[in-house]
Amino acid sequence: MSDIVAPSTTVAGPLDVAGTLALVQEALPDAKPVSAGPTDYLEVAPDQLIEALQVLRDQGGCDLLSSITCTDYLSYQGRARAKDGPRFEVVYHLYSTAQGGDCVVLHVPVDDGESLPTATPVYPGANLQEREVWDLYGLVFDGHPNLRRILLWEGFEGHPMRKDWHEAYYEEDQKPFRSRHPRADFARSEDKVPWGKNTRYPADWDPDDWQEPVTYVPVSQDPRSRNGAGDHLSTESVVVNLGPHHPSTHGVFRMIVRIEGETVIALEPDMGYLHRNHEKIGERNTWLMNMPFTDRLDYINSMSNNWGYALAVEKLMGLEVPERAEYLRVIMAELSRIVNHLWSIGFILNDLGALQTPALYAIEEREMILDLFESVSGARMMCNYLRFGGVHRDLPAGWAERARYVVHERLPRALDQLDDLLSGNEIVNTRGRGVGYLSAEQLISLSVTGPMIRAAGVPYDIRRCEPYGVYDRFDFDIPTLPHSDVYDRYYIRLLEARESVRIVQQALAGLPEGDILAGKGGYVFRPPEGEAYGRVEGPKGELGFYLVSDGKPNPYRYHIRAPSYINLNALAPMTVGYKVADAIVILGAIDIVLGEVDR
Amino acid sequence: MPQLLIYLIQAVVLCLVVITGFAYLTWLERKLIARFQVRIGPNRAGPFGLLQPAADAVKAMFKEEYIPGHVDKFVYVLAPMLALAPALIVWAVIPIAKGVPAMGDVNIGFLWILAITGVESFGVILAGWSSNNNYSLLGALRSAAQMISYEIPLGLFLVSIAMLGGTFSLVELVETPRAPWEWIWIWIAFPFFFTSILAETNRSPFDLPETENELVAGFFTEYGGMKFSMFMMAEYINMITTSTVVSTLFFGGWQGPLADRYIWLGPVYLFIKVLALLFLFIWIRASISRPRFDQLMRFNWKFMIPAGLVYLTVSAVITVFLK
Repeated sequence: MSDIVAPSTTVAGPLDVAGTLALVQEALPDAKPVSAGPTDYLEVAPDQLIEALQVLRDQGGCDLLSSITCTDYLSYQGRARAKDGPRFEVVYHLYSTAQGGDCVVLHVPVDDGESLPTATPVYPGANLQEREVWDLYGLVFDGHPNLRRILLWEGFEGHPMRKDWHEAYYEEDQKPFRSRHPRADFARSEDKVPWGKNTRYPADWDPDDWQEPVTYVPVSQDPRSRNGAGDHLSTESVVVNLGPHHPSTHGVFRMIVRIEGETVIALEPDMGYLHRNHEKIGERNTWLMNMPFTDRLDYINSMSNNWGYALAVEKLMGLEVPERAEYLRVIMAELSRIVNHLWSIGFILNDLGALQTPALYAIEEREMILDLFESVSGARMMCNYLRFGGVHRDLPAGWAERARYVVHERLPRALDQLDDLLSGNEIVNTRGRGVGYLSAEQLISLSVTGPMIRAAGVPYDIRRCEPYGVYDRFDFDIPTLPHSDVYDRYYIRLLEARESVRIVQQALAGLPEGDILAGKGGYVFRPPEGEAYGRVEGPKGELGFYLVSDGKPNPYRYHIRAPSYINLNALAPMTVGYKVADAIVILGAIDIVLGEVDR
Repeated sequence: MPQLLIYLIQAVVLCLVVITGFAYLTWLERKLIARFQVRIGPNRAGPFGLLQPAADAVKAMFKEEYIPGHVDKFVYVLAPMLALAPALIVWAVIPIAKGVPAMGDVNIGFLWILAITGVESFGVILAGWSSNNNYSLLGALRSAAQMISYEIPLGLFLVSIAMLGGTFSLVELVETPRAPWEWIWIWIAFPFFFTSILAETNRSPFDLPETENELVAGFFTEYGGMKFSMFMMAEYINMITTSTVVSTLFFGGWQGPLADRYIWLGPVYLFIKVLALLFLFIWIRASISRPRFDQLMRFNWKFMIPAGLVYLTVSAVITVFLK
């Protein structure tokens, strides 16, 4: 199998951010450069947004629209901003997959009641993210093909991320809270609504009359579909709900699939069943309190999630991390990448119908790594190990020896075993080869990152493109595969796990002595005003944290660019035209975790 | 009248034996798959979890007999029975010792097997149809296509073996002496026949009618309690039955050293052979993943059926010129 691997690919060089911003300014003289803390960005008027994005895509080389989000500046308490500006700012982060390097940031100020144009014609990957902004902030994107609520449901009143939206009970204006004791003289507001608890409904909304909007049932997206075309046999298509309660949707995820025979002719992902408005909770917490919450995003890799958040906050505070802590972070993050890839390989095979056997073999090794996590952090899955400026605890005695045994003896053998047993298997090959194909260009335009685009031959890995931590000190390859099908997505994970083993081996060998935590630690931080976007190469793709600080002890804005969520942009285009059985495997090969998708 | 009574007792005893076999087959499968998957398997109920089947049976029987509101009730209740009955009926003609068929020696044993396995798919199709559920419907459609398609190679190989043996009776077939080259020729058909059997019994890797990954539980998604158990019984008893048929056709059934002299040794040998084949079923289930439906059908129509036809032709030539 090694003949199809193109190892050690490098990127052309860091993107010239200042030069690219100048390009936009040249085309749009009205754009205003702003500096907020560690980030420089351009402020673009809504009507010039499309033009700016086109300049960035066509001339600036920014082919990846990484993140779209929004900030509501209604209750901003910092001094750096004028109080009378527009209420919302929609934030765009763009990268170049060919050149790597830092991001280009655009802000689009929008006032309440105004709308802005959709970015989907330029970057189709804006689809899910713009729906999220509409859902949580109520900003309308003109021309968006399918602007419906995505994380919340149709019966939800208001847009909860707006600063003037108050959650019942938890965000009452009146404090201290009234007693919730049954004999106390009050009525709980959630008891007054006719339909469940802790919810309010729009005034014109009646739960009894409500029906799912017809747009829920997707119409054919398949150009090859024979439905209603001429003199063919007249057939009827059927809508099948795969999920939310379904054995292979990896959680409570729902695919509304229109099938003709066994062929999928349309697919609509539906999510949000696990939504808890993580970002809103994040705004209520102090900066440090969010660290354990990030564990719950992608609960397979809490270490990587911690790192993404710590990186963004460190950018904001300008903290230096001691060398030993950097090494420990690399070790933990790479171990969790191995955990994730083992898990994902096992479950791709499970989706192929292999009755858990490969999954359990993979999980056996995962347990060894979880033991290591447990002894260093106290928890197997929700590690909560990283801190701003370092890590929480030093290694216990004998940990490094146990880790060496795992990465030198166990893991290489386990990965070879999986490779031997699975890669050449006839059924895995016939089921995986050529299934779920999308070209590299399509994947990038859909904002897909991580193993998915590396399986399409794009050597885009943030550890190499924009090295963070101490990744520039290790010798490792970025494996890529050319075919961009399910089989390659399975195999790339095996190759990446091998590279991670190499990194951990080197990091363990070079682990320096010294401090593990910079600064004085402590519970309450007040990062200086500004905004920062920190991103790490999570096992599932680019995991980014967009933070805005107004100099107060809790984040003013806390946004997560969740790779599982954004990679789902590609689900429908990848699946249409294949069989129902393939839809399951294609979803499995995207490798989603619903804790991160729904947030 | 006494003859009828004897038949009745025979039938009841046979059913009890087979159903006990089903119960312990589930135990065996869980234990074996656990070992394949680096696990331990059931070990709480009784020594080595041996009482697990009893616990399962009690659980299934005390479940509420719930019938969903949107189903076609009569067909919905009928379907599990239709699935289970043929699996038991096939047993009637299988010889279990020298000159002793399970129920009676009919001279059309082969046709009996083909006819009864043909009825089996009705239970599945009706279950999918009456459930009024898209998953069930898809599972039933798959099942209809799959079982009917794989019956063709199954029949072709059965006919070839009947031709070689020169008889339609299973009792006589087992007792027919065969030359060593004839055994080898018959064993060549074994992988093909076994593959068809896997598809016919909806066992992994051909368990497409009930793929949990796509169709939740396929045709029995809407079933619960005892009716669900009846489908499971049908599946496992089918495994036992087809294993017995395979060992009768390919491995001499009850035959073994001294089985001619001590009749009681016949069932023991048959049991051992069936157990080995069941192990094969379970081993395959734990090891390989499942092809896609179109691939499965392509494999049948483009490979299995031509192979069956070739085998049939060559067997015919052999029968005419060499026997």
